[in-house]
Amino acid sequence: MKINEPFVEKILTAFIKEELGKRGFKKAILGLSGGLDSSVCAVLAARALGPKNVIGLRLPYGKGKGGDFEDAAEMARVSKIITRTIDIAPMVDAYFKKHPTRERLLKGNKMARERMSVLYDWSAREKALILGTSNKTELLIGYGTIHGDMACAINPMGDLYKTQVRALAAHLGIPERIRTKAPTAGLWPGQTDEKEIGLSYDELDAILELLVDDRQTPDEAVARGWAKAKVARIINLVRCSEFKRQMPPIAKISARTIGHDFLYPCQWDR
Amino acid sequence: MIIALAQISPFLGNVSRNLDLHLEYAEKARRAGVDVLVFPELSLTGYKLRDLVAETARDPRSSREFKKLRDASRGVALVAGFVEEKPSERGLYYNSLVYLHKGSILHLHRKVFLPNSGMFEELRFFARGRDVRAFGTPWGRTGLLICRDFLHLNSHYLLFADGAEISLTASAAPGRGAAGPDGFATSRMWEIMGETVARTTGTVVVYCNRVGIEDGAVFAGGSFVFDPSGRPAARAPYVDSAFVLAEIDPAAVRRARQAMPLKRDDRPEVTLANLERIVRRDENQ
Repeated sequence: MKINEPFVEKILTAFIKEELGKRGFKKAILGLSGGLDSSVCAVLAARALGPKNVIGLRLPYGKGKGGDFEDAAEMARVSKIITRTIDIAPMVDAYFKKHPTRERLLKGNKMARERMSVLYDWSAREKALILGTSNKTELLIGYGTIHGDMACAINPMGDLYKTQVRALAAHLGIPERIRTKAPTAGLWPGQTDEKEIGLSYDELDAILELLVDDRQTPDEAVARGWAKAKVARIINLVRCSEFKRQMPPIAKISARTIGHDFLYPCQWDR
Repeated sequence: MIIALAQISPFLGNVSRNLDLHLEYAEKARRAGVDVLVFPELSLTGYKLRDLVAETARDPRSSREFKKLRDASRGVALVAGFVEEKPSERGLYYNSLVYLHKGSILHLHRKVFLPNSGMFEELRFFARGRDVRAFGTPWGRTGLLICRDFLHLNSHYLLFADGAEISLTASAAPGRGAAGPDGFATSRMWEIMGETVARTTGTVVVYCNRVGIEDGAVFAGGSFVFDPSGRPAARAPYVDSAFVLAEIDPAAVRRARQAMPLKRDDRPEVTLANLERIVRRDENQ
């Protein structure tokens, strides 16, 4: 689980700079929630591109208030990036007024997609590429809204477990309050990741690393002392969320089909 | 002799831009008095080509770009990687490496061991080479390998048995594992192999890896040269592009093989007899 933080910083800033450059962009944009992942991503982008080439959007539902909203402002200040605040309540409320629901997950997902919709609009306005902030833990267990917070152009964070993001955050000088507060997807007030998933990030990351990186079987993970129920639950989360990590399959009919045998690198030099 | 390593980041899919980069480094090497300049694997095309292999493929005997490279090889010998399409095998693409000297092709190596697991999918796009052989150069008998070839022990043995005194490897090796004190964890694997081969074959071992990022794959750099006694003669940084020189004493191979006569005592006929037995046995089972 250990990482060499300065080396990882070097790789990720190079990744942001190079992937943007190849796509013809100089600027990046991301949603700033005040949480750990977007804070780390903002600092990496500022170091890679210069803070004036990074736009952090604060996208509260309603009038921004509370700790996370203040922390997002603090991160914009610390990283010196450009910031803008857009309230998503008018758009979200207009929709749910016509199609009401009491399911908070539906509301939360709609908000996550509304935020991403605003980000893509500002991506085009500012000619700035969208940086994803989903970490490896979230991506593996599918703890994210598809086409919401999981959408992006490139993702510098996707091969770092949450605990590794935390280590990187300390190296990058992210304020302690942001590093130590309980992670939340922010889908509804009072939500925390660990309460909702039912496992701590320390447990999740340790078990995921065994299963994924070290290629251990579930039985081997259990033999190392992890509760069978926890291992089974994680495997189930990973399996059920594979669709979130892939492009949708295309029915093959022709002689050459996108994704099957029409295969090009994402971006090449022209 | 002076060997130079161009630890570059090629432009993916853009042969003419990469040609310019090669000519620029060739000129730099020529002015520095370099004898042999080594580029990474697929240095004229970039690595993660997928279906771009067809449009970036060239025949080194007829292509316009290779005419310019051959001209540049009058000033310094060049080892460069490219996608090869032979006129006699149209529609087949090889991951190839060419050794150019004084305007002509001294040798051409086609990658024999194509990695095709995990993040690699070379067998999907490339045909496999069959030959591992040494050839004469003004600086001593030399052999070429490409990336994964280097991790197969038998490649090194074949070059050793064929009389190579200099082994040149062009690589596009992505890094994996970021827990260590310096560079990627996988870089150690290449270094250990390089040093071991140098020591156990009394050969100059040259390894030129690339840098840069292609669709998320981070190439690890860390190119190196070991002299025939296993001492590091040059080392490039991890991850960053670099141009490094190694000066090799032409008498070093002779001295190393006097001190440790592993070449004299080698018995390729024993290897051959046992390999024949092993291959036959495997086929019968």
